[in-house]
Amino acid sequence: MKNVSIYSTPTCHFCQAAKEFFKEHNIEFTNHDVSTDAAKRDEMIQKSGQMGVPVIFVDDEMIVGFDEAKLKSLLGVV
Amino acid sequence: MQYDLVIIGSGAAGLGAALYSGRYRLRTLVLGKEFGGETAKAGTIENYPGTPAIDGYELMSVMKKQAGALGVEFVSAEATRVSRQAHCFEVHASDAAYQAHAIILATGAERRRLGLPNEKELTGRGVHYCVTCDGPVYGGKKIAMVGGGDASVKGAILAAEYVDKLFLIVRGKDVTAEPINLEKMKALGDKIEVLLGTEVAEIVGKDKLEKVVLSRPFKGSHELVVDGLFVEIGAMPNVELATVLGVGLDERGHIKVDNMMRTNIDGVFAAGDAVNHFGAFKQDITAAAMGAVAATSAYNDRKVHGELCEMHAVPALNKILSV
Repeated sequence: MKNVSIYSTPTCHFCQAAKEFFKEHNIEFTNHDVSTDAAKRDEMIQKSGQMGVPVIFVDDEMIVGFDEAKLKSLLGVV
Repeated sequence: MQYDLVIIGSGAAGLGAALYSGRYRLRTLVLGKEFGGETAKAGTIENYPGTPAIDGYELMSVMKKQAGALGVEFVSAEATRVSRQAHCFEVHASDAAYQAHAIILATGAERRRLGLPNEKELTGRGVHYCVTCDGPVYGGKKIAMVGGGDASVKGAILAAEYVDKLFLIVRGKDVTAEPINLEKMKALGDKIEVLLGTEVAEIVGKDKLEKVVLSRPFKGSHELVVDGLFVEIGAMPNVELATVLGVGLDERGHIKVDNMMRTNIDGVFAAGDAVNHFGAFKQDITAAAMGAVAATSAYNDRKVHGELCEMHAVPALNKILSV
């Protein structure tokens, strides 16, 4: 099983859409709320070089934004 | 794939149209690049009748569910090409093509940029266009918001929950938000400082935003050091597909419609932020209403023109496409 994590904010609709996508396809994921977790916010900025959310990791592959087609491909979702 | 109606756009206008189209029992497809359009990014919506306060994304999700229960289909993809053959349309999105008797252009609007050097390079690196998305990333930081309209003030109120300090940079002499939102902003006190008659002249930074240069001095300096810059200066209508179809535009580049949301092209209807109806008043209630009217016109059009598309246009279109 692939390790999926998302850096998000509570008010971001693309983040919500991504999380709904994971739930719909029964994909377990770890959520990092960067509005309250400053260490994870800095980690996200360091890893992605930018401050926009969501930032999603599927194992070591990073996706900035909610790219449904790419997520489907990486996660083998039809 | 053959439909009575393809709705291009899945914001308030597109979903309002989808609800009515579903109730008219039209075979309906909604194609959307970004689900929920501007509403999904708007934060809390407090002026949609029947819902005292609801998150914009949630409101759009409820509308989608309501239309989906009526048999309306949804595809999350950008309509990239559209063509017309007699009274029949073909819309391309991703690798698929969809035929329809009529289409509704609910293509919305694209956020306006400042048009400054460095803006593109620093987008996501301090320069942002979606405060509900990225505002909370700036917890404890100092940011600036550009724009003096309602969206800007609502964005400032939301961001103020997280940031340490916010400068609202307004080109005009006044902030023109809804009075209720102005009251909310004023209640936040010194946290939000309004700079009237001021523009951002330069965006400064290499790998990330360092500061902005203002058109007039603020507290003795043209330079304003901020961690983030949010741009909320309105939007430009998305009319690329309309133009391809020969749909008429007004002098401000919006799709021209009559009071039944008909364009100058038979079978093409339009609704929402891309059209000239209701002038500059862009609200969920007006967008959804325009969608409902557009769907009604599409339904009436279907009654008049019957099966013309299936009988004549599709074989001809297929023939052309197979060449």
